Amino acid sequence: MTEVPNSVQYSTLEDVDFVIVGSGSAGGIIAKELSTAGYSVVVLEQGPHLKAADFTHDEWGVKYNFDLEWDWRQGHPQTRRRTENEEAVVGDSSLRYAHNVGGGSVHFSGNFWRLREIDFIEASVRGPIAGTNFVDWPITYAELEPYYTKVDWEIGLSGLQGPWDPPRSRDYPCAAMPVKSSGVLLERAAKKLGYTAYPAPVAILSEPHNGRPACIHCGLCNGYGCEVNAKSSTMVTMIPLALASGNCELRTGCTVSKINIDESGRANEVVYWEQDGTESAQRCKAVVLSANGAETPRLLLLSESARHPDGLANSSGMVGKNLMFNGYSQAIGLFDEPVHAYKSIPATRVVHDFWELDEDLGFYGGGGIDSRHPFGGNLISTALSGGMFGGATWGVEYKESLQHLFTHSCSFDGHTTSLPLSTNNVTLDPSVKDMWGRPAIRVTYNEHADDIATMKFFLDRSLELMEAAGATQMEGSYDENSPWTQHLLGTCRMGNDPETSVVDRYNRSHDIPNLFMCDGSSMVSSSRGQPTITIMALAFRAADLIIQSARRGEI
Amino acid sequence: MKQRQMSRRAFLNAGGDAAKGSCIILTMPMILTACGQANDARTSNNDFQLLSEEEVLEYSAISARIIPSNGTPGATEAGVIYFIDSVVADNREVEHQILKDGLVTLQSEGAAQFGVASFYLLKDEQQDQLLRQIESSEFFNTIRFLTVAGMFSSPEYGGNRDKVGFELLGFTDQHAWQPPFGFYDADYAEKGE
Repeated sequence: MTEVPNSVQYSTLEDVDFVIVGSGSAGGIIAKELSTAGYSVVVLEQGPHLKAADFTHDEWGVKYNFDLEWDWRQGHPQTRRRTENEEAVVGDSSLRYAHNVGGGSVHFSGNFWRLREIDFIEASVRGPIAGTNFVDWPITYAELEPYYTKVDWEIGLSGLQGPWDPPRSRDYPCAAMPVKSSGVLLERAAKKLGYTAYPAPVAILSEPHNGRPACIHCGLCNGYGCEVNAKSSTMVTMIPLALASGNCELRTGCTVSKINIDESGRANEVVYWEQDGTESAQRCKAVVLSANGAETPRLLLLSESARHPDGLANSSGMVGKNLMFNGYSQAIGLFDEPVHAYKSIPATRVVHDFWELDEDLGFYGGGGIDSRHPFGGNLISTALSGGMFGGATWGVEYKESLQHLFTHSCSFDGHTTSLPLSTNNVTLDPSVKDMWGRPAIRVTYNEHADDIATMKFFLDRSLELMEAAGATQMEGSYDENSPWTQHLLGTCRMGNDPETSVVDRYNRSHDIPNLFMCDGSSMVSSSRGQPTITIMALAFRAADLIIQSARRGEI
Repeated sequence: MKQRQMSRRAFLNAGGDAAKGSCIILTMPMILTACGQANDARTSNNDFQLLSEEEVLEYSAISARIIPSNGTPGATEAGVIYFIDSVVADNREVEHQILKDGLVTLQSEGAAQFGVASFYLLKDEQQDQLLRQIESSEFFNTIRFLTVAGMFSSPEYGGNRDKVGFELLGFTDQHAWQPPFGFYDADYAEKGE
């Protein structure tokens, strides 16, 4: 493994233009945009700079030792509870995210569904929902579209414009990925029932693009790093360009503890621990937090001071609130012939007929259905589910059931909306500490009834599709009270009103003029379960606006 | 085409530079130790890092009922017990305590019902009967989880010897594929869908 040497090193005592906290989906993009525009940038990343050669198909390491995501085993406990009346307890982390250069874009599944026009204006179209913070975005699809297209081309997407997709200014750069059997089963079933399945848009290359090779269909995207650089993470797309600019210093193994504010109320210093525990601080003209929807609010809450007793940038009281998980449901079916859904990318076909559910159903929601290997192509996970169709869960019969379960199964998965609630949030745990002695992330999360109704609706549709697909046996479930998510959304929401939102329509803090937050925390609504493309589009847009602002001398 | 995934040990050996730049070093030595000792254990066959001889005999016998060796390799041939030993030794005191406590209960049930306190000395039918009684216990779930994980995880961790677990699932340990991937997409293009 060879480290890419930094071509520039900045003194911590002299101002750099920007410190960016986090190098993931948003941070990687903003680092590339600002540094190639000529600004001096220091990126602080908690994890290491891994490379393709570091990634393996090691399920035990990735899924159970949390090698990439980190957990209590690596000194980063989280606590969880459903309501504020309960005491939160330590378990496997609820908010799961990467700790490495490129962040979650390194181990995501790469499903890149753009939001549609309706997503940005849904609250005013449908009307408010009592007891929730469901509101319109301060921006429209049209404003974000050029940046979605930047994501398509600069990050690298494969796909085909679908029948109800929002308008796009340019085609996908790469053709859709080849369909696999699980996709064919979904497509044929959808046709029978009068729905439309079309190629899943993905941030994985079907053909060479921007100097990177096409996917080799190894089968393990979800949770794993790509071993051939065909997955379009910011680690392989943006970070190399940022480093090549000569204006970006990437400091790995650096965990930020606090943002300092000067007398005039501007952010002027980012305090962090180096790998060996040494405390450092980088002086800067402006700060961008792209630490993700869990770490960004935690950092703001940790940066409390006499002047900001409720945490930094939190005059609205909304920092950490409106956490949204995305709903999930899954129908699993067994088929007569080999499906081998463990090969190639997770999903090759999507059904988007249910993006918006009929108001007459009596609840709010929407989403999409795709087809996958039921257990992500994972062997241990498959075998743990042996007996799921009512058979034995151990012994001879169990053993015999395993082969079909792995090779002849497929799932139709529903990815759905979550409503933003003040009661679903990230706060600082009063007693549990992480390895640095900081209060652990405490998650309070309890699905809104409409989120559960939506998951149930999608499960029913998936089961109908599964039957139409010809499954010989099927089972379904949805994640009511899901214990965990990798979609960390809404915790520093964007809005025009400083009373009810944390950042403005330019991702700038309403309170601190040279502090920007841009990552999943900016999301106003939850998306239909595939938020990363929107996080990336917001990052390109925020960077554009930050550059314009800097050129006007406002930073 | 890459024929074999890079092993965890190779990763660790090659990973010195990057690991230095990250907190990952805090956990890697533990894993490295566990892997190394599991491999040593496999060659000597007696050398367990944590489990007592009695635990080895008893957990092995339980694993062998969960994934039996009925004509094709089961938990015994996969060396699942070496996996259990290495991962329980890796900072999993809670799980180890569940195993030890559960074993005591299981043995006292065996003694009460069949007059034999050692589970591994019971007949297969007696063993199955006892296990059926505790199917929903935390102990059984823990040892089932560890048995399954040991059967199907990378051989690096001590189990899945000769990749017998891969074979059982019908998984071909190959690193690149081309369409058609399965039965149902084989005629997709031909049908002009």
